[in-house]
Amino acid sequence: MSAMEPSGLVVVGLSHRTAPLDVRERLAVATASLGEELAVLRRCEGVGELVLLSTCNRVELYGAGPEPRALARAFGGYLEARADPDPLEGLTYSYEGRDAVRHCFRVASSLDSMVVGEPQILGQVKEAVTQAARAGTLGTLLGRCFEAAFATAKKVRAQTGIGAGAVSIASVAVELAARIFGSLEARRVLLVGAGEMAESAARALRGRGASLVVVNRNEERAARLAAELGGRAGSFDALGSELTATDVVLVSTASPTWVVTGEMMERVVRARRRRPLFLIDIAVPRNVDPQVGRLDNVFLYDVDDLEDVAAGNRERRRARAEQAERIVDAEVEAFERWRRALVLTPTIVALRERFRATVRAEIERLYAREARSDGPPGRGVEAAVEAIVNKLLHAPTDELRRALAEERSLPLLDALRTLFRLPEGPSGTASDGVEPEVHSGPRPVVREHEPEHESGPRVDPDDVGRAAGRGEP
Amino acid sequence: MTVVWIVAAVGAYVLATALLVAELLGGWARGGRTGRFVLLAGAVAHAVHLAIEATTGGPRWDISDSLSIAALLLVGAYLAAAWRWRVGSLGAFVAPLALLFVLASSVGRTWPAVPHEVRWAMLPVHVGLNVLGVAAFALAFVAAVAYVLQERQLRRKRFDGPLQRLPALDELDALGVRLVGAGFVLLTGGILTGALWAARRETGAFPISGAQAFAVLAWAIFAAVLALRAAAGWRGRRAAIGTMLGFACAVLVLVGYAMRLQGGGG
Repeated sequence: MSAMEPSGLVVVGLSHRTAPLDVRERLAVATASLGEELAVLRRCEGVGELVLLSTCNRVELYGAGPEPRALARAFGGYLEARADPDPLEGLTYSYEGRDAVRHCFRVASSLDSMVVGEPQILGQVKEAVTQAARAGTLGTLLGRCFEAAFATAKKVRAQTGIGAGAVSIASVAVELAARIFGSLEARRVLLVGAGEMAESAARALRGRGASLVVVNRNEERAARLAAELGGRAGSFDALGSELTATDVVLVSTASPTWVVTGEMMERVVRARRRRPLFLIDIAVPRNVDPQVGRLDNVFLYDVDDLEDVAAGNRERRRARAEQAERIVDAEVEAFERWRRALVLTPTIVALRERFRATVRAEIERLYAREARSDGPPGRGVEAAVEAIVNKLLHAPTDELRRALAEERSLPLLDALRTLFRLPEGPSGTASDGVEPEVHSGPRPVVREHEPEHESGPRVDPDDVGRAAGRGEP
Repeated sequence: MTVVWIVAAVGAYVLATALLVAELLGGWARGGRTGRFVLLAGAVAHAVHLAIEATTGGPRWDISDSLSIAALLLVGAYLAAAWRWRVGSLGAFVAPLALLFVLASSVGRTWPAVPHEVRWAMLPVHVGLNVLGVAAFALAFVAAVAYVLQERQLRRKRFDGPLQRLPALDELDALGVRLVGAGFVLLTGGILTGALWAARRETGAFPISGAQAFAVLAWAIFAAVLALRAAAGWRGRRAAIGTMLGFACAVLVLVGYAMRLQGGGG
């Protein structure tokens, strides 16, 4: 990498796309241990800025430094060490520069997630960045990169609606319940039976503020499940009265016949005075008579219905992801522009410093001469200005001459004309008195003035800068 | 000068319609918030217009004023409901309906005002009650339409259409019954004062014109919606359809009056 290149960004890691769950589990870092692991990584050679992202679906190391390859090697070595004794060959990926930025933006925007558009990943990335900032491993480049990634994620979510539409059975149940009842607080959920999917849906509904009643033919099991899910156990024999008092019903029993019949529900609907009721039949074979779905204000969904809704939402998310990728591309381009501009800053600072030091030295010499001289003040100004011009142009003129000898002067001449906004052609070049020296004139005369130890009134460099009408870069 | 305010109000209602439809169909949440703000600005301009009209020329107590005030009340009621409940997406229906009322009102300006000889002290009460009732029924109608659309999606189990931002069924039902209840009380007052006024004018048999028949029919439908809900628990889709029918009758009352006015009647 040349000295003009900025620090490089790199990401090395593995995810649900490349590594199986058991490998991800082995490499995962608990949030509480992130600081410790960052400290370990920081000791690796070539590691400067660093963020460690660890979720159930990915373990990734983001870094920035002058030697991205060395950084990638250090990260790879760290992951291999964690996976020891099993090698990670073919299970990891590594991106550099623009690709690393793009990956970071895609991860934060949930485009690389197992469930595209899921909202948790953004919080997890934010947590990783917070931990890095706390550990002191978040520098300018990574800090800015993640800041841009968060802004991109927000834009993607707002402009594409990629997070809209539930994609799991449990979240579809919650979404449909919200379409019927609005807020689920103060609503009652009745879980009839048990089963992983029904319990997951009950948990999700509880999470939205609904209260829960569990009924089961096995009362002991009902009590245990109710305690586990934070609800109360009811009696299976009183199913009718429980249905009357409930809003959402999850049915998942092993019964081969209808547990909820049409007749039973007609009575329930009358007793409820037709308040809406949402029935979710998760059992296979089904436990709720399909005729129930025809009753007024009763909404019956079986497991296929829920899966159809989830599949439709997944399909819509895929379409929105394409739009999101275009937003990510534009944001990556904007970030890369900023990163390229970062190269200029040290060069501009050095150039200004060179100019300022030259001017300051000449002014000091001028004051020293005038202090010794008996003549009127200001006589040496012309000579001082001439000396400044010669000194400032000495190096570029020398380089131009050398380039001319090596037949590579044209790009430099073009650059000079662009940078100093010089007019094209001989008239323009003659006016500033530099060009003739380059082509045919003698070497510029650089007057060596009085020795450095001479003293005189000192000039504040800031004053010089202000006098020249220039601010700090 | 007053025309500036009504033009500003119409402009705001048009812009709000576009923003609120974008919220409902495109899920543009910021568009919805901006749309409600623009709608509020339009309502303020509208209120200023009505205030200037009332102070300069005096109220006309005619169908034009009634429609204009009903539009303003509809917008006000919607903004209050959106602030209180999660029914903001109804704005996509309310804003164009208010716009329609205002445009109909401006057409109604060309019709003759209520003649002085038939005016009496109860006229402002009669018009006021009817206008408030129409505004309440208009918003109840909007909630009922949204209810039917949302219920249709839930019954068909398909959620790929553009109307994915409609409020929840239960919230729409609750809003609808409140508005029908309020509108019913107001309409009852309006019909009673109207009947008294007509009886006083015609000094004869109890007058029932076409428009008045529709007013009574609208009143009966709303009464049925409320009574069946209280007695038999009728709610949801049936109540929504009843509300829509009742509002259609209320609109026919207005159309009937408009036709009578165009025909030169009072």
